Amino acid sequence: MHVIIFSWEYPPRVVGHLAEYINALSTQLVKNKVETHVVTYHDFLTGAVEEASGVKVVRVANPVRTHIGVLTWDLTLNQEVERAAASIYYQANKQIDLIDVYDWHFIPAAVTLKNALDVPFVYSVESLESHRSPTADTPYNMSIKSIEWLGFYEAKKVSAKSEWMRNEVVRIYNVPKEKIEVISPNTNSWVKDVLDLYKTVAGGLSSQ
Amino acid sequence: MKHKLSVMMFSWEFPPRVIGGISPHVFFLSKSLAKNGVKVYVVTCDFPGAPAHEVIDGVDVYRIDSYKNPAPDFATWVYLMNLNMQKEAAAIANKLAGKIDVFHAHDWLVATAGIGLKHVFRKPLLVTIHSTEMGRRDGLHTNTEKMIHETEAWLTYEAWRVICCSDYMVSHVRWAFGLPEDKLVMVPNGVNPQVYESIEKEDLKSFRAKFALPEEKIVLYVGRLVYEKGIHILINAVPKVLEKVDAKFIIVGSGYMKEQLLNIVRSMKLEHKVLFLGFVDDETLLKLQKCADVSVVPSLFEPFGIVALEAMAAKSPVVVSDTGGLSEIVDHDLTGVKVYPNNPDSLAWGIAKILLDENYKSHIRENAYRKVQEKYDWEKIAQQTKQIYEAVLGEYSKSFWA
Repeated sequence: MHVIIFSWEYPPRVVGHLAEYINALSTQLVKNKVETHVVTYHDFLTGAVEEASGVKVVRVANPVRTHIGVLTWDLTLNQEVERAAASIYYQANKQIDLIDVYDWHFIPAAVTLKNALDVPFVYSVESLESHRSPTADTPYNMSIKSIEWLGFYEAKKVSAKSEWMRNEVVRIYNVPKEKIEVISPNTNSWVKDVLDLYKTVAGGLSSQ
Repeated sequence: MKHKLSVMMFSWEFPPRVIGGISPHVFFLSKSLAKNGVKVYVVTCDFPGAPAHEVIDGVDVYRIDSYKNPAPDFATWVYLMNLNMQKEAAAIANKLAGKIDVFHAHDWLVATAGIGLKHVFRKPLLVTIHSTEMGRRDGLHTNTEKMIHETEAWLTYEAWRVICCSDYMVSHVRWAFGLPEDKLVMVPNGVNPQVYESIEKEDLKSFRAKFALPEEKIVLYVGRLVYEKGIHILINAVPKVLEKVDAKFIIVGSGYMKEQLLNIVRSMKLEHKVLFLGFVDDETLLKLQKCADVSVVPSLFEPFGIVALEAMAAKSPVVVSDTGGLSEIVDHDLTGVKVYPNNPDSLAWGIAKILLDENYKSHIRENAYRKVQEKYDWEKIAQQTKQIYEAVLGEYSKSFWA
């Protein structure tokens, strides 16, 4: 199996807890014989790096340096994520089983890749805009929510880390409950659960 | 390539959605390319009442959901719209199973969609730069302007060829983005003289009488009422023209300078000589261009100057300021009159020169019309564009992407 993970943070760029989680997950995936690429953002450490653990990391920077907000920064950076993923796809003779996307930042790239190349994606939810900015409903927040909505709509499967989050995704975005798997990193079956989810998603869009 | 040469074009406007000059440009270019054996798919923004998919003279037009939630600002909306455009275009191209040979983007407004699909499908991207942020704003003053400029630079970097519509724009774009000379190619913008022929034999006397007295010559301005178009120069030239010849000045278009211009006209007590029409429908515009004794384009910044070309196609003699693309369209004393930019005296001199000399006027008209047919014909422009596609595909076939 060949998987690409999209995460906007990955060591040494650590913003929250996601960087360490992706590090642990990708290391475990490689141990379980999953070929794993991580596409992430870094302004100064760009270029492909072969990690000691066997995880292949591609770091991209934003070609547009001046921005007026997180959205313009994110939506331009997505083209580089898309370019990196397409490059991995073609180098792997188009044999990519799925993309695992963490949070909304790189949903746009995953959506285009799915529609263009039939590579399905999993939307792994860390947090939602409704929780991050509970009282804000400005056009800025609405735009992020619309990207989250697009991710839930286009994803083949959604993974949430708790039953609570699963219910929140159902409540806020009306996602069918059976589309969402709860995978908690705190259980012994964590890696096996992730692999099981990947197996149901792999096999292309035809099985949808 | 076993199938017909196919191009997917991205444009944020396409008729009936008309905001600026890109809409008619892509409309005529795509239709003329189709006539010349190129399969064209246009992906553009939706418009109330226009179908999501239709075929116009062999051109497949797809109108995508242009992101209608409130966006924080115009530039952010552009990138959000591009997300939708890219998603829908990806699905369309995927269904065509490798039949798209090249992507062609028009201006930064579709930059991220074009760049993204180039890499995802590994097909060459071409771009037409109609205008630059630097030129529109006369420099880069805000972060929004800098961001747009950098997006334009990125788009030209990713493009296999950069097409500009005038030699002036070629050198401007080359300088603005530091591009190598062989990446740039000039293909003029076109005009469609046939649309004026349809009203050739119509009697426009009663139409003309609605706007001007029989003894008044008609001086026509068509364009936005904004600083860069130099409309204030024309208004300041009005009394200077009237000293020499009786005329009615008809101003078509709207913009933020309107009140200011009306005040100048009032203060000169010339309300009866200057008529502000605002926006008019296509038919009225065609007839006005046909009736005009002279058309004036007094721009201070003009990447191309399509209005001058339309006037020439309508056989209305033109007076233009000697700047940008206008300098190339008009040859002084041959296909029009060139005057000093930002100079009401020079402009008044040029207008009077045409209005006072019938022989000179018809000499200009005939030459201008011939030049339009020879150089700015959509058929020829489509052939040139097709040759560029073929040249790019020839180079592409030797690359590791092929």
